[in-house]
Amino acid sequence: MASLVQPVRPNVATANIQLPGVESYEQVDREIAGTLVPTRGWFLLLGVSILLFLWGAGTWVYQIYWGLGNAGYNPPVMWGVYIITFVFWVGIGHAGTLISAILYLFRAGFRTTIYRCAEAMTVFAVMTAGLFPIIHIGRPWKFFWLVPYPNWRLIWPNFKSPLVWDVFAISTYLTVSATFLYVGLIPDLAVLRDRATNPFKKRLLAVMSLGWRNSEPEWRHFARMYLFLAAFSTPLVLSVHSVVSFDFAMALTPGWHATIFPPYFVAGAIFSGIGMVFTIIIPIRKFFRLQHIVTINHLDAAAKLALFTSMVVGCAYLIEFWVAWYSANEFEQAYFWNRVFGQWWWAAWIMLTCNMIFPLSLFSQKLRRNPTWLFILSILINIGMWYERFVIIVPSLSHEFEPWQWSGYLPSWVDVSILAGSFGWFFMWFLLFIKNLPVIAIAEVKEIVPPRLRSHQVPTGVDVAGHHLDYSPETPGERD
Amino acid sequence: MTRGLIAAYHELDALVEGIEALQHRKFTKFTVYTPTPRHEIEHAIKPPTSKIRLFTLIGGLCGVTFGYWIAIWTSDYWPLVVGGKAIASWIPYTIIGFEVMVLVGALSTVYGMFILSRVPKITQTMGFDPRFTGGHYGIYVETSPERLKEAEATLRESGAVEVTNER
Repeated sequence: MASLVQPVRPNVATANIQLPGVESYEQVDREIAGTLVPTRGWFLLLGVSILLFLWGAGTWVYQIYWGLGNAGYNPPVMWGVYIITFVFWVGIGHAGTLISAILYLFRAGFRTTIYRCAEAMTVFAVMTAGLFPIIHIGRPWKFFWLVPYPNWRLIWPNFKSPLVWDVFAISTYLTVSATFLYVGLIPDLAVLRDRATNPFKKRLLAVMSLGWRNSEPEWRHFARMYLFLAAFSTPLVLSVHSVVSFDFAMALTPGWHATIFPPYFVAGAIFSGIGMVFTIIIPIRKFFRLQHIVTINHLDAAAKLALFTSMVVGCAYLIEFWVAWYSANEFEQAYFWNRVFGQWWWAAWIMLTCNMIFPLSLFSQKLRRNPTWLFILSILINIGMWYERFVIIVPSLSHEFEPWQWSGYLPSWVDVSILAGSFGWFFMWFLLFIKNLPVIAIAEVKEIVPPRLRSHQVPTGVDVAGHHLDYSPETPGERD
Repeated sequence: MTRGLIAAYHELDALVEGIEALQHRKFTKFTVYTPTPRHEIEHAIKPPTSKIRLFTLIGGLCGVTFGYWIAIWTSDYWPLVVGGKAIASWIPYTIIGFEVMVLVGALSTVYGMFILSRVPKITQTMGFDPRFTGGHYGIYVETSPERLKEAEATLRESGAVEVTNER
C-alpha cells in the first residue's frame, strides 16, 4: 500500500508571506537600490516608447488641424477608439489601487512586493486615460468648460450629466492615487538620500523625501495616514469605474441600458489591471533579478485574483445575454444576436476567448506558477479587455433602434496612431519611474524580513494580523 | 541647556532593552529610529494613538458638504427646468459629494501626517544618523549635562554599538 496515495502539492500561495532569500535590511537596500542603474536595454525601450509617443502626439496635432473627421467616426458611431481606450486605461489603473489599498486593508501579504509597481501603473494609466476624452472632444482647448469655476459668463456645468461625474471621479482618482504613491515613496526616498553619493542627487532626494528620518513618531503617523488613505481609496476605486459605466448605462441604447454595468465594469477593470501588472512585473523581476523578492508564490496568489475576476466578468457576459433573452425586448435581443453571431462576431469572440476561456487555465497550479504562461496570458487579457470595451461601445452605436441607422465602423490610421501613442506615453513614464525610484517598496519589504536579534536569529514570516510566525524552510516557491 | 547622545543599535532586542532602560531611569526626552515600523518598539514605547483621524474626519465632512453645496447651489443659481423633475436632485449629486469627500478627506489626512510628523523638515542633521534609514536602529536622547554620563552608560549597557555626542 506504500505508493498508492500520491503526494499532493501543498497550495502554498496564501496571504502570508516570507522571503527566505532576503536576510538583512542592508540586502534589501542594496538589491532594490541596485535596480536604479540605467542599462542599454532600458535606454532602447525608453527610446522606442518616446518615439511611439511622439508619433501619437504628432498625429493628434494633425487631427486638431484637420478636424475629427480624420478619426474613423461614421455616424451614428460617434464614439470609437478614443472612448474605448479611455475606458481601457482607466480600467488598467484599478488593479493598482486594488493591490495597494484593498489588499492592504485585507492584510494580503503577497501585495507587498508588487504594490509599488501596481500603484505607479495606476497613476500613469489614469494620466493616459485622462487624455482621451480631451482628444475625443476635438477642440481640446474647451475642455475646461467641464470644470466648475466662477466665470464672467455665470455659467456652471450640469451636475446631472455623467460627463461631469467623470471629471470629478477621474480627477479625484488621479490626485488620490498620485498622493498615495508619493507618500508611500517618502521613506524609500530617505533610504536613497542617505545612500546617494552624487551631491546634486542627494540634495534632490533630500527635498523629495521632505527630511524624513524614520523616527518612531513619523512611522506612527505615517501608518495611520496610510490606513486612512487605503480606506478612502477602496470605495474610490469602486466608484470611479461605476461612474465610467454610467457614461453608458444612463443612455437608452441597447446593450448599455443595464443595471449590471457598475459591478461588471469594476470587475473588468480589476481583471484588466491585473493583466497589466503581470505584463509589467514579470519582465521586471526577471531583468532586475528580483525573483527571490517577487516570488512565484506572489504571482500565484495574484493569478488566483485574475482567475476570480475573470469568472466574475464571464458571469456578467452571460447574464447580459440572459437578460436580453428574458427581457423579451426585441431591440436588446437583436443587438446581442448581432454582437455575437452577426456583424461583430469576430470582436465578441476575441473578447470571450481572451477574458473567459484562456484565464480558466489558471485553475492549474502548474500554470499559475509558470511566469512565461502568465506573461502570455496577460497579453491576451490586455487584448481581450480592449476588445471588451470595443464590443460594448461600437456594436451598440452601430445597431440601435432604427434599421436605417445601422452602420459599420473602422478605425482610421489616426485612431490607431493615437492608440499606439498612448502606449508610448504610458511606458515612457513607467520606464522613467523604474530607473529613478524604487520599484519595490523598501520599507515594506523590510517589514517582512526578520529583524536582527542579539540573542538568536529567529526566522519568521508575518501572518495576516501582522504577527510573526515560525518559518518552514521547505515551503516551495519562495526562492524562485 | 540640554545635551544630546545618539546611540546606534544593530539588533532589535537590544534597542527595545535600551528604550526600557531609559524609561526605567526616567529619561523622558528621546526619539527612536527604526528602518521599518516594528510592533516590538511600539509595545516598548506605548505611544498615544495618532490624531490623524481628526484631520480625516474634518476633511471628509468639509469635502462632502462642499460637493453637495456646489451642485445644489449652481442648480438653483441657473435652473434647468425639465417638467416635473427636481431642480436640485440629491441622487446624482451624491456622486459629486462622495468624490469631493474622498479628495478633501485624503488630502487633509496627508496634511495631518505632515503637521503631526513635522515634515517637511528643513534640516535633519540634529539627532539623526543616516544609518537609521539603512540597517540600524537608533535612539537620540536629550538630557541635562549632569546626566549625560548616566545616559551613555545606559545606552552602552543595553547593547548600543556606538554612542556619540550630538552637541
